[in-house]
Amino acid sequence: MKRYEAVDISGDAGVRAFGKSAGELFANAALGMCSLIADPETVRPEERLEISLRRGSLGGLLVAWLNELIFLFDARGFLARDITAAVSPSPGGGEDFFLTASVSGEHFDPERHRGKLLLKAATYHRLKVEQKEDFWTAEVIFDI
Amino acid sequence: MLPRVRDLVEVLYREVPSGVGSKGRMRLGPDDERKLLVKGAAWAVENGLGEPADIERTESGGRIEGADPSLISEKAYERGRAQQGTLGSGNHFLEIQYVDEIYDEAAAQSLGLFADQVTVMIHTGSRGFGHQVCTDFLEVMERAAAKYGIALYDRELACAPVKSPEAKDYLAAMRAAANYAWANRQCIMHWTREAFMKVMSSSPRGLGMSLIYDVAHNIAKVEEHIVAGQKRRLMVHRKGATRAFPPGHPELPQPYRQTGQPVLIPGDMGRASFVLLGTEKAMEETFGSTCHGAGRLLSRHQAIRKAKGRKIWKELEEKGIIVRSAGRETLAEEMSEAYKDISAVVDVVHRAGISRKVARLRPLGVVKG
Repeated sequence: MKRYEAVDISGDAGVRAFGKSAGELFANAALGMCSLIADPETVRPEERLEISLRRGSLGGLLVAWLNELIFLFDARGFLARDITAAVSPSPGGGEDFFLTASVSGEHFDPERHRGKLLLKAATYHRLKVEQKEDFWTAEVIFDI
Repeated sequence: MLPRVRDLVEVLYREVPSGVGSKGRMRLGPDDERKLLVKGAAWAVENGLGEPADIERTESGGRIEGADPSLISEKAYERGRAQQGTLGSGNHFLEIQYVDEIYDEAAAQSLGLFADQVTVMIHTGSRGFGHQVCTDFLEVMERAAAKYGIALYDRELACAPVKSPEAKDYLAAMRAAANYAWANRQCIMHWTREAFMKVMSSSPRGLGMSLIYDVAHNIAKVEEHIVAGQKRRLMVHRKGATRAFPPGHPELPQPYRQTGQPVLIPGDMGRASFVLLGTEKAMEETFGSTCHGAGRLLSRHQAIRKAKGRKIWKELEEKGIIVRSAGRETLAEEMSEAYKDISAVVDVVHRAGISRKVARLRPLGVVKG
């Protein structure tokens, strides 16, 4: 199964991601986004980070999750290579959605990594998160 | 000058960090970080990065009142810390240009422009700092829109009533980001002067490197405008638009009171950029605003496909333009064909009367991220 593909949009950049679960979808969307920043082949899984987030909607959670990774790259130079993620209704009940993710990667090294696009933010513009039986699709446009 | 353009581009590329993953050369303590957000370009000048005369020729004196550093998230501080004094990537640039056409001799003279003069244009903003402020407040504003019963056409256009606490907080944070951007451009301008001094073995005054104008290209400001015959205080948000105030506007600094506000319109790296002046008609018809730039014609992928197998840098060199870029794909994405023809865009705003042409600038050397 294809994990992600680039969405061509004038003036911005986007990613369409696929998954057999919401967790897989979130991980693939993040990997697709990272492939816009740098060539994933060149990134080594040297450091691991645990991320957990909670938001009121699946779309909001996806945007917040991608923005968290944009922050980690933009502020700390951290590039993700391998990601596993689980998405579930909030453990405390209520209507929130909860994400836990484990992200492996390394810090950007201009000698080894070829920087591609500088992403400012993941946006709500044309945002889609859809489930058809056990197949999930998402589309996110990034402000560049 | 011409034989030195290659050296200048190399030095500028080295002295002004640019591109994906680049880090700034400034290391500020928490106290200075906050001062910079309140003082804007003046902070840079107070710290030896520029001259007091620069401030006079910067929109709002390079500092908008009402910035509140306490409303900035730790994440925005962290993102901004690494990037203060960096150019960025994408359509951000630093260009060495020359005046190749004057449309209004008297206006050009009052701006200090003359034919064949070498100029520098810097296009950058609040970098990751501003993007994080936006990301942080988009969530706040989305909740606020629901709270105040505003139906959103697009979640990206989340908003709140101007006088609500959410909007007040956002504006105080946005003002800090605007001040960050003014400080950023002031720092980069200073290092540009240093690069010229180094390569040309002269002082900035000897080189005549004085600022013409620094104008924000994305900002919301409280301004007075006439609406249906009544003077009103409005929140004017210019995104993809540039302020173009007319002669006599009280916001303009003394040197430009008679001429109107200088408007800088960047084109693309292969063709041209323009200097215009604001007009009364812009006040009447567009809340004192004109265009922002050329606007894209091709998407990134279309541009990359079109550039495949070509050496964009070489094509530019054949036209006498030396280009240096950190990203390989940036040049393809930013090539002339990816943009509308800026001359045609500027002709439209000139003929519409919402700003008027003063001079056309042609690129000689380009630094891209």
